[in-house]
Amino acid sequence: MSLAAEAFVSQIAAAEPWPENATLYQPLKDDQILLSDCASSLAVQAYLRMCNLPVQVSCRANAEYMSPSGKVPFIQVGNQVISELGPIVQFTKAKGHSLSDGLDDVQKAEMKAYMELVNNMLLTAELYIQWCDESTAAEITRPRYSSPYSWPLNQILAYQKQWEVRRKINAIGWGGKTLEQVYEDVSQCCQALSQRLGTQPYFFNKHPTELDALVFGHLFTILTTQLTSDELSGRIKNYSNLLSFCRRIEQNYFEEHDRDSAGSSSSRFSKGPSL
Amino acid sequence: MGTVHARSLDPLPMHGPELGIHTDDVEVVDVEPRTKQEILENKDVVVQHVHFDGLGRTKEDILGYEIADVFNAKNFIDVMQKSHQARQKLLRLGIFREVEVVIDTSQGKDALPNGLDITFEVVELRRMTGSYNTMVGNNEGSMVLGLKLPNLLGRAEKLTFQFSYGTKETSYGLSFFKPQPGHFERSFSLNLYKVTGQFPWSSLRETDRGFSTDFNFPIWKTNHTLKWEGVWRELGCLARTTSFAVREESGHTLKSSLSHAMVIDTRNSAILPKKGALLKINQELAGYTGGDASFLKEDFELQLNKQLIFNSVLSASLWGGLLLPIGDKPTSIADRFYLGGPTSVRGFSMYSIGPQSEGDYLGGEAYWAGGVHLYTPLPFWPAQGGFGDLFRTHFFLNAGNLCNLNYGEGPRAHLQKLAECIRWSYGAGIVLRLGNIARLELNYCIPMGVQSGDRICDGVQFGAGIRFL
Repeated sequence: MSLAAEAFVSQIAAAEPWPENATLYQPLKDDQILLSDCASSLAVQAYLRMCNLPVQVSCRANAEYMSPSGKVPFIQVGNQVISELGPIVQFTKAKGHSLSDGLDDVQKAEMKAYMELVNNMLLTAELYIQWCDESTAAEITRPRYSSPYSWPLNQILAYQKQWEVRRKINAIGWGGKTLEQVYEDVSQCCQALSQRLGTQPYFFNKHPTELDALVFGHLFTILTTQLTSDELSGRIKNYSNLLSFCRRIEQNYFEEHDRDSAGSSSSRFSKGPSL
Repeated sequence: MGTVHARSLDPLPMHGPELGIHTDDVEVVDVEPRTKQEILENKDVVVQHVHFDGLGRTKEDILGYEIADVFNAKNFIDVMQKSHQARQKLLRLGIFREVEVVIDTSQGKDALPNGLDITFEVVELRRMTGSYNTMVGNNEGSMVLGLKLPNLLGRAEKLTFQFSYGTKETSYGLSFFKPQPGHFERSFSLNLYKVTGQFPWSSLRETDRGFSTDFNFPIWKTNHTLKWEGVWRELGCLARTTSFAVREESGHTLKSSLSHAMVIDTRNSAILPKKGALLKINQELAGYTGGDASFLKEDFELQLNKQLIFNSVLSASLWGGLLLPIGDKPTSIADRFYLGGPTSVRGFSMYSIGPQSEGDYLGGEAYWAGGVHLYTPLPFWPAQGGFGDLFRTHFFLNAGNLCNLNYGEGPRAHLQKLAECIRWSYGAGIVLRLGNIARLELNYCIPMGVQSGDRICDGVQFGAGIRFL
């Protein structure tokens, strides 16, 4: 988003309260969504729940193309459309909802650094495993990604996406890495997160921030998703404080909410995504 | 065609392959140069040989069909007429730059006293021709490269390739055309293309990559086209502010459709006709041959022209169309009909009638439109018979409606829906004919029956169009 557009969006946004019918769009939950998209979507949902902003989840096969940035998830609030966690955090802040206002500048910088770490390590590792590990790509990623389309479009789109992601992975220098090195990177990232978390309930003690939402989104999705091997979730399971952190957020923000509003559209969260 | 004097006893130009039984070079008969004139007009003649001069890659069998008729000529006038027709047929093949006909008396051992030889002196088109243009428009500049390979395999096949490289979009098209030898109107073509379009009235961008194959053939006075088309369509939003209804349509779809078109055209000109009628019926069935768009689309166009006094022409047109979704999937914004604009329902902006969302027009599943025009030559125009014939003034009355039908209701409800909220307009203007393919109109329009959401163009409206109401 350009600076001017961003400024414009936040100005408009500030004027209106959060509507009841805000909607989050993501790819089809059962057949289509991929690990990385599911993680990003869960992070946004966790963040909005932490802010206590109601949002309905709508699954669309073309969610990726509906999104203004080409990335999922995105939310529709009134006539505004905002995609990805960063801009959504900005948008809610403009409306007067923020989780990180209580932090001082040093903490804010630290939070941003850890969020970058998660995006650069966990998200990239997810993309690498999905698209660059040939057995995962062939058995899971390509069939799921192309499931809404008919032949030959399904093949074209899946390979086009794979080529695009691989080009990006190569551009950031991950192209030469082996799967083992990627798992090692995930371990290091988890170790850093685990050390930062320590024995606190959330990364910045009592109150959750967008960092907590982001970490939860990725870790919970990795833990509950069946891939060709259990190696990725196994690396996370070594850190017990991260596991209890996930369970805590799930209980506080997902199970509790679901009890409050039985039958809400995201009640299937406890089962986790079934990639 | 007055008296015709045939040239006699000139040695025939004999180069290149020739057609017919005559195989050897003609030995120039040794005759004393003398002039002999004979009036051949009503004499019975026999066409003995037909030669082609200047053939390179063209196969002879295809030419045989085109000139066969000249062998049936019985007298000299007939020979002249039939060879003229043959010349036209040869030119129509689009493989020769020039065709000259030389008619001469037969020579050689087997020459009959009343025998004639006809020589077609042809110049073939080059193997490859290219073109290069630049275009500017719609906030975009582009460069268009064209390549044409006429008569590719020697039987009037044609391969054309066009590539357009723009500052925003690239498009290309490759097409192969093959007529049936002897029946040029029956043809077959294959097309491969990528086209990108931006539709600001819907805030939509569409990229189509497709393959199509079609057969053209005449039946009695009608022309038919049968076509199969497979298109991968990618829809996207033009701007961040695009309405959500259009945003929801974004993404990829695959359309595979069979279509049939029938055309009867008895008009004397396609753009400013004086007499005659046009009927076009088009039907498209998508979804039965794969893909994820399923619908049946019917569309027709009718135009009647009648010449009145003082060279004025009264013209009436009617258009209509219906799109029926098959299955429970709604129709795509790319398949629906649009109405309005300077050459359809005048007085309304381009495709700006009917269902819309936040200013983005979504199109409709049913429409009709009708128009009555009175065309007159320009008053006091000095260049009558020349430049002035490109122009007409016209007075018009247009009407139309575009809406979505609830197919659960009966036909009576549908007709009622199409009859309510009719948009109409009237006005006058000037029409300029651009070649024989398009026209420019400058009109003063008064739109009536405007519904909320329609975008109007009250007053002066300018536009160009290939299809016009």
